[in-house]
Amino acid sequence: MEKNKAYFRKLANQIMIDLSDDEIEILQKEFEVTLRKMDLLDKINTDDVKEMVYPFELETHFLREDEIENVISQQEALENAPEVKDGQILVPKVVK
Amino acid sequence: MRIQDFKNKDIHELVDLQARLVSANEKLNAVVSFCDVDAQIKDYKMKEDAPLFGTPVVLKDNISTKGVRTTASSRILDNYVPFYDATVVKKLRDAGAIFTCKSAMDELGMGGTGLNAYTGKVNNPYDLERITGGSSSGSAALVAAGLTPLAIGTDTGDSVRKPAAYCGIVGVKPTYGRISRYGVIPYASSLDHVGYFTTNIEDAALALEVMAGRDDQDMTSSYKEVEAYASLLNGDLKGKKIGIITNVIDAIVDPRFRPSFDAFTKKLEEKGTILEMVTIDQDLMNALLPTYFIISNAEATANHSNLDGIRFGMREPGEDLNEIMINSRTKGFSSDVRNRFVIGSYSLFVENQDKIFRKAQKVRRVIVEAVDEALKNYDVLLAPAAGTLAPKPDDSYGEDLNNTFMVAENHMLLGNFSGYPSITVPYDMVDGMPVAINLLARAFDEQTMFNVAKGIEDVTGLAGITKEDF
Repeated sequence: MEKNKAYFRKLANQIMIDLSDDEIEILQKEFEVTLRKMDLLDKINTDDVKEMVYPFELETHFLREDEIENVISQQEALENAPEVKDGQILVPKVVK
Repeated sequence: MRIQDFKNKDIHELVDLQARLVSANEKLNAVVSFCDVDAQIKDYKMKEDAPLFGTPVVLKDNISTKGVRTTASSRILDNYVPFYDATVVKKLRDAGAIFTCKSAMDELGMGGTGLNAYTGKVNNPYDLERITGGSSSGSAALVAAGLTPLAIGTDTGDSVRKPAAYCGIVGVKPTYGRISRYGVIPYASSLDHVGYFTTNIEDAALALEVMAGRDDQDMTSSYKEVEAYASLLNGDLKGKKIGIITNVIDAIVDPRFRPSFDAFTKKLEEKGTILEMVTIDQDLMNALLPTYFIISNAEATANHSNLDGIRFGMREPGEDLNEIMINSRTKGFSSDVRNRFVIGSYSLFVENQDKIFRKAQKVRRVIVEAVDEALKNYDVLLAPAAGTLAPKPDDSYGEDLNNTFMVAENHMLLGNFSGYPSITVPYDMVDGMPVAINLLARAFDEQTMFNVAKGIEDVTGLAGITKEDF
């Protein structure tokens, strides 16, 4: 499938970003190089190989007791919010 | 500059050092925000036997600091002020550290040059025109310029160890899980490590003792006991078995490297080190960068989906929620980062997951098995940390497919894929610029890594070296 500008703009919009025409041209070139690099993976036989998701498979996390801990205050939660009203983060009306 | 220099010193002298740092930054452009040193001195209650008593420490700007702006050198976080400290910050403070500044980095850790910080290019102290490498660019520059004995960084693809090489200092990436990442703005969670820079191995060993240890707030943090790395340090190289990775040696084309490297290895042999050449399957070495590119971009895309200008960060106007998010993210991230997100997202599409993302995760395992095989007979693996001197911005540094770039510039990914500890140590100066080697050791065997590194440092005589013009 030919990957034209509209294709890349759609890809970008799906992850909530936009790209200018110039940026898409650069991305198209990078994408070609990336695909060529990805081809190098095909030279590696991975039959019966399990994905490596993390370096170690040692158990380092567990279900904890259902006790409240590490709670942040409302003030802390809102400290960095760009717009706040009545103790809540303010955004434009969603339901119209 | 060494940690030891601050023992039994009046901490008020840090005010002068901070003034020097502010002045030097005009040349280095290594700082995003300066910390309030006066306030920290005023409240200082540490005893003189604290391991980092009165020691100035620099933090990379992706490490959360309560009440101090933390931007990860990205516009989208330009106004972000955390309300909590990262665990590593708490540990350093409890050990006596005084924080001097938050250092510039490639945006969100996504880069290896120091060219892609929101505050602009970070300059190499040895030649201001040259790059520092990245992404922990500012931290490296400030240690190399003799403005701090310890600077914290993070290392996802070699982001501590490469700038350490370009700037001629020690760069440590400990074992995955050794230092808590709680409070560190992530890049790619399966590859991210907290690392750091010092000017010598003794300080590097001490710093790990301070920062390492289990933290329940980081689910990948290890329960392994933290050793007394500094007091157990032993630089005797006699009988130490080191495997030199031939793929890396063969990939370096710069003729200035070989004579210097050969002279260095000869000195190691004279100390009784057993050096042998070890080769890793070339197809696997060629697959390092693409495997990294796929995994890291995919994980980054997911990790940074919360940066949307809604709950925190820079918000751009828009008619509705979607428009606000798109505008905030478009203006908030550089083109380079947005491109990486698109490629990361592409590899996570349902139709691409098996062919691209899961394939990369499988290749990662095959690569790590090859590392295990190579390490089987050696205390550590060794290779030049970089294939060139620190480049200038216009030098050809593109991510093309030649062997020098694919292997010599990216082999330190082996440490991120495996999670094994790795350290960069300078070994010589070439044309006025530092050159360095990198060691890779077995999981949680930082002691052997430090011991060999100490032996190397004794051989080179470069312990504590900095560029003293600042």
